[in-house]
Amino acid sequence: MSDLTCARGVDLLMDYLEGVLSVAVKESIDRHVGGCPRCLAFVASYRETPRVLRDATAEEIPADTKRRLEKFVRELSKRSPER
Amino acid sequence: MPVPDADQSDETLAALAASGDGRAFELLVGRYEGRIYRLACRLTSETDAPDVLQDTFLQAYRHLGEFRGASRFGTWLYRIATNVCLMRRRAASRRPSESLESFLPRFDENGTHADTPETLSRMSHLDERLDRERLAERARAALDRLPETYREAFVLRDLEELPTAEVAETLGLEPAAVRQRVHRARLMLRGFLNDLAGRMP
Repeated sequence: MSDLTCARGVDLLMDYLEGVLSVAVKESIDRHVGGCPRCLAFVASYRETPRVLRDATAEEIPADTKRRLEKFVRELSKRSPER
Repeated sequence: MPVPDADQSDETLAALAASGDGRAFELLVGRYEGRIYRLACRLTSETDAPDVLQDTFLQAYRHLGEFRGASRFGTWLYRIATNVCLMRRRAASRRPSESLESFLPRFDENGTHADTPETLSRMSHLDERLDRERLAERARAALDRLPETYREAFVLRDLEELPTAEVAETLGLEPAAVRQRVHRARLMLRGFLNDLAGRMP
């Protein structure tokens, strides 16, 4: 399986990173990517993607939202959980 | 009866809350409100997040008696919050979003990447080159443009960092289907971020 293409490697990339591929397939990907600057660049940006989006969407709860929720919960918890 | 305090486990507090201890429930809310808010922003929007938050804790409170400690309290609560988000999105008449398909990787007839290594990795250190507000705004817009089923899987797996098996259970899918959806989402988002980086001065 040394003739693995970039396209096939991309198809298998998540399974590769999750460790669910057979050893033979994994090794064929390692061989291809090791000698392919395009795949090396692609894999780096693919791996970077979740982190960039995670950091960019790490919203903090606004103070007024927090206050309103806690007031709501204080009222709620005066009642019994079973309606 | 034990008195709730901040050192007790979620599961102990949940049991106290289920037996009518309001203070125990308030402690749990304090532990999770930030995380549930962030999840709600990622799965719905900043506009919807406050309502999602209230609804999640209301549902959790009502169903405390059904929490048996078979899973962790956090897992149970995440599942409620996810369902509240999904119901909300499915109930809203959503305009078809402009697809991210055009950002999928391109290959030539031999299956080789059509782009050069330089153009494939333009996005490295993107978050150091783009100001925070603008990147946050573009990230939200990109999530909105994902097909709904990809977004759910991607947010839970990659942004909330839940294990694939847990995402599968939450969404009622096989793990292989979760991997497939997360993968497609990553491909589209990678292309989107790379393109964004390429259009920066």
